[in-house]
Amino acid sequence: MTGSQNMNVNGVAIDDTFAEAFGMSGTALIITADTLKWAMIAATTMTGFGTSVIGCGAECGIDCEVPASETPDGRPGVRVLVFGFSPDAILPQLKNRVGQCVLTSPGSACYNGLDSPQRLALSAGPRFFGDGWQISKRFGGRRFWRVPVMDGEFTIEDTCGFTTDAVGGGNLLILGRDRAGLLETTEAAVAAIAKIPDVITPFPGGIVRSGSKVGSKYKGAIASTNNAFCPTLRGTTKTELDADTIAVLEIVIDGLTSQAVADAMRAGLKAVTDIGAAKGVTRVSAGNYGGKLGQHHYHLKDYVA
Amino acid sequence: MSGLRLRLKSAPAGRLDLSCLQPEPLTARAVDEVARLPFEDGTLSDLFEITAIADANTLILAGPTSACDGIGDGLASGTLVVEGDVGQYAGRFMKGGRLDIRGSAGDYLGAGMKRGLLTVAGSAGNFVGGLLPGEKFGMAGGVIRVGGDIGDRAGDRMRRGTIVVKGKTGAAAGSRMAGGTIWAEGGFGPGAGPLMRRGTLIGPKAEQMLATFSDCGEHDMVFLRLISRFVAAELGSVAPPPLPAKVRRYAGDMATIGKGELLLTG
Repeated sequence: MTGSQNMNVNGVAIDDTFAEAFGMSGTALIITADTLKWAMIAATTMTGFGTSVIGCGAECGIDCEVPASETPDGRPGVRVLVFGFSPDAILPQLKNRVGQCVLTSPGSACYNGLDSPQRLALSAGPRFFGDGWQISKRFGGRRFWRVPVMDGEFTIEDTCGFTTDAVGGGNLLILGRDRAGLLETTEAAVAAIAKIPDVITPFPGGIVRSGSKVGSKYKGAIASTNNAFCPTLRGTTKTELDADTIAVLEIVIDGLTSQAVADAMRAGLKAVTDIGAAKGVTRVSAGNYGGKLGQHHYHLKDYVA
Repeated sequence: MSGLRLRLKSAPAGRLDLSCLQPEPLTARAVDEVARLPFEDGTLSDLFEITAIADANTLILAGPTSACDGIGDGLASGTLVVEGDVGQYAGRFMKGGRLDIRGSAGDYLGAGMKRGLLTVAGSAGNFVGGLLPGEKFGMAGGVIRVGGDIGDRAGDRMRRGTIVVKGKTGAAAGSRMAGGTIWAEGGFGPGAGPLMRRGTLIGPKAEQMLATFSDCGEHDMVFLRLISRFVAAELGSVAPPPLPAKVRRYAGDMATIGKGELLLTG
């Protein structure tokens, strides 16, 4: 970690540091169902266990609800984003997640959610569930599969677009002297980020309480607790925390474009500085690796409104 | 690039092959240059009055009759408007662009068509979207819309694409069909779908339904919404009303692999 406090906005210190993020591949799907409730259930299930590519294979989340008037089949929908290190890494995740969580969800259908000439074979797994009874229909430039299931048909688009210009690992570290107030503020920041299109905050509720550092004393562990930001270790290890900090929460941001991540950083920072001081938030920092690993650097000072 | 209007000076005495009249090469040329182009035993100006129009990449053929064959054959781009009737093979092997026929069409309309939009204000003959003897497959993509009725065996060996008919089809629509969709607002004539392997026939009724089509019950299928929206986007004001939420599905032709379907909306 690098940085020093040299800016203060509404009583919240902003570190002169940057979030270091990585180039990733990303795709988007639109999941529809008879009701928004069931579209959301399918989307929530499909994006579950999708916090980090390291342990989950993909980073996934819900981007937004899609009104019925804007979905391919005129039913309520939810747009989900899936990120991985490469298109080849995303494909098996799509196959498993759509196959196990969307195909299985009552009344669901699954469509491409990203216009791009680069395509992933979205239906490559799920359509074969039809055991030969699946039906292909091509309307204009789009091909769909109808897979017979017990409540009728599961409709899935043949391919979905992907981008290799996605960004993963934009982040904000929010520090405070009151754990409840810190959580409330961070929730507000996640809610503000949720309004930005093309981004997700893939961790539980959008928030990480276990920030990591690269490496470990234990063989085989590629990451371990970020002891410099652990308040209970303040007296025992080199620390980045002030004396009054009792908790740190992190928001990790993945976006289909670098601009989307930047917009999300700005929205999150604004939410924190708008209400944070009264909630016991003392400081905002960001995670980086000295700038040597990630191609994308988001300097906090550039995103303070 | 502007457009051209070619008006037939008189009705042809015999069959007249107009397949060479395409928007793409013709509208790139000046009127007098087009007039000098060789055609039949003379030049184009011997048969047509040629004028420039403002619409870009648009060719209007005025005054053709049902003796004029091959109009829009292999059309790849641009717009070809026909003010009159056309004969056989109109829009055959179309690869793109738009062919608007403001009269009626003969047999083999859009046979082997691959892409593009073909509309006929009036009626059309047999084998719409079909194939000619010796060919392997019929229509493989694009959209055909006919404002009236169509003849027998529409979509013969059709693989992909969509045919929308305001009126009804003749006998044996979807014969030997391998994919694609025929949506007949007026319903299907006798014996629809003989030897149909895959594909979809949609209409309010089907006369003398083949015994080899099996009743699968009434269902609401998401794909009905997709095709309704697709057709509405392609055809605009002449698109049929959206399909109902539920249709009755008959699978067939069970004399083959039975993976086609006849969907009755009535």
